[in-house]
Amino acid sequence: MVKKYTSMAYANADDMLFGNSKFPVKAGLGLEIGAGYTTPELNYAPRPQAGKSKEKLIKEYERITTDAMARMVQIGAPSIVLETEHVEQMTNNPEWGGAVAHAQKTIMEEYHDEYGIKCALRHTVGDIREDRDYLKLTGDKFDLLMESFEQVAKNGADLLSVESMGGKEVFDYSILRNDTAGILFGIGVLGSMDMETVWSGVADIAKKTGTVAAGDTDCAQANTAMFIAGGLLDKNLAHTIAIVARAISAGRSLCAYEAGATGPGKDCGYENTIIKSISGVPIAQEGKTSTCAHSDVMGNLTMQCCDLWSNESVEYHGEFGGTSVQCWSESLAYDCSLMNVALKTGKAKDLRDMFTLSDKYRDPQGYVLAYDNAYRVGEAIAKDGNDNYLRAKNAAVECCNIVEEGVASGKLKLTRFEINALTKVKEDLAALTDDSDKFMSDCLTKYKEEVAVFLPENYGL
Amino acid sequence: MLDLKLEDIDGILVRYNVALEKEMTPDEAAEELYPKDELIYPIAKAIYEGEEDDVIDGLKAAIDAGKDPIALINESLMVGMSVVSQLYDEGIIFLPNVMMSADAMLEGIEFCKTQTSEVPEPKGKIVCHVAEGDVHDIGKNIVAALLRASGYEVVDLGRDCPVDEVIEAVEKEKPLMVTGTALMTTTMYAFKEINDKLLEKGIKLPFACGGGAVNQDFVSQYDLGVYGEEASDAVKIANFIVENGSEIEKLREEFHKH
Repeated sequence: MVKKYTSMAYANADDMLFGNSKFPVKAGLGLEIGAGYTTPELNYAPRPQAGKSKEKLIKEYERITTDAMARMVQIGAPSIVLETEHVEQMTNNPEWGGAVAHAQKTIMEEYHDEYGIKCALRHTVGDIREDRDYLKLTGDKFDLLMESFEQVAKNGADLLSVESMGGKEVFDYSILRNDTAGILFGIGVLGSMDMETVWSGVADIAKKTGTVAAGDTDCAQANTAMFIAGGLLDKNLAHTIAIVARAISAGRSLCAYEAGATGPGKDCGYENTIIKSISGVPIAQEGKTSTCAHSDVMGNLTMQCCDLWSNESVEYHGEFGGTSVQCWSESLAYDCSLMNVALKTGKAKDLRDMFTLSDKYRDPQGYVLAYDNAYRVGEAIAKDGNDNYLRAKNAAVECCNIVEEGVASGKLKLTRFEINALTKVKEDLAALTDDSDKFMSDCLTKYKEEVAVFLPENYGL
Repeated sequence: MLDLKLEDIDGILVRYNVALEKEMTPDEAAEELYPKDELIYPIAKAIYEGEEDDVIDGLKAAIDAGKDPIALINESLMVGMSVVSQLYDEGIIFLPNVMMSADAMLEGIEFCKTQTSEVPEPKGKIVCHVAEGDVHDIGKNIVAALLRASGYEVVDLGRDCPVDEVIEAVEKEKPLMVTGTALMTTTMYAFKEINDKLLEKGIKLPFACGGGAVNQDFVSQYDLGVYGEEASDAVKIANFIVENGSEIEKLREEFHKH
């Protein structure tokens, strides 16, 4: 059952804060997410050779889990979430994923029993629904994906997530050609349709297994745009286009919660502040403490409304200060400690605003994702919440308006190139129909012809 | 919410790209680089603008005026693309412009081929693939487009490509180099296997690797590895091989920046 959001969870943007969500989520061993405190969420990747066999993988994750839990108790961290993002072998062989979840949870239970540390295990299964040439979103691959969720849920995972890829084939083509309609179609329409299917399935499994259908991220699309856009001097994609893709992605990732997910949303969903404003679900975020995985231009800003604070991913290996998972979990824990002190001393809104302001004018992406502006994008989505296309288009238009206002204020400085790119997107959006059926029909015709790997049957079209 | 005064922002962050933006617009910069020949100019300009129909119209006009279709590939299409590549390298235009220009150029080449029985001579052949187990192929697609746009023939093995398929392709196609991209740490291990199998067969050629989790340290661990940090490095590596040979140590000296 999919119930679309048509109103905002928060009456005002100012009500949004880190460590607090409208609808906190209980998970794992004594943990409550978004219930007045922030918690570090550690993510890691096994070393390359660890994927050679099931036994090697399990051993690798046991080392990772033990190292991280040990460091958390050594520094007195009250809570931790561990996130295991599957390598493909773990999802394609569901019993592998289940065995890893079981091994990790066993260790976490030992630490919880001995020290009382609150903790939960998130498993993010891989979206394996494709073959070498095409996305294969339905059929056997879909069933295998669901089986993987079920196995990890039955064997110890508390939070279920995936970075689903619906619409990516059209998006990949469009983003490299400044094709606004294609970006909107890929993320806002195809992505949303696939999300509704996937997350209805995950929500059913969570209900059946007593686990939490946590949430998704538009990593496959909006993060691809963000990474191609890169730093201030990179010349691969206008940052103004990247943030339009991000605004569109909020409607798409929101579909998880409309299909029954409850949060916490995935860390790399930079669209999560927008989603929190509409849905009130707790969110994970990443930024300055995920530089081990990638650079971004809003490292502090993303802490503004986070409930879990993540390092995104780090390869497991040795560092001077211990293993990489120990070093990064420690950094995350101290970030959370600072936020939690602010919450207890009545300074949280000041700290939130300092996080936001340190990056708000750095880049159009941070400017739009600053919680006050993110809230406005949220309102644009909720206004036509029942229509995936219209709400995606609304978000894109509002995003353009926000950036233009920032430039007009003199505080957000953009190159002529970025301003021209923004102008083009705005013109493209203005030329689009308000009729969802016509948009769908036009796009099907166009992209069937232009994108060789686009199979409409993946979306039941 | 709290806010910063306009005059305080520059002390907190600097938009170096705004401060350093060139005065000249991309169109003005391109105009200075186009060839002046009245038949070639519109083709080169249409390539820069990514206008496929205009490219074909320009080619038709040039052929009607007596130009050789195969010669036009190098004398107009590649010239237009070199304007695009130069502006991209100088940071004046962005990747989507290059991709659209590349699409237009490839259409142009296909059109030229239909006008003659001759076969154009590529600068060299390159095998591209995404590591086995890895389906993230946008980086490889950019690499392949940029290589084609620079006049190389690309044998694209696609994504999630088995190690043995890469070896077979190298044996069959005899490329001047292989590229491999991967997003994940667990899949990039396949690069080592490819390296070892190539060496077992006595094949020594540069293996340019890059992408998400791939880094210079990892690529340096296998004998044939040359690390490419950006997709556009693939073209630079290929050009370097054409001009200076395929010695791995020399390539590493040139492209291993860290």
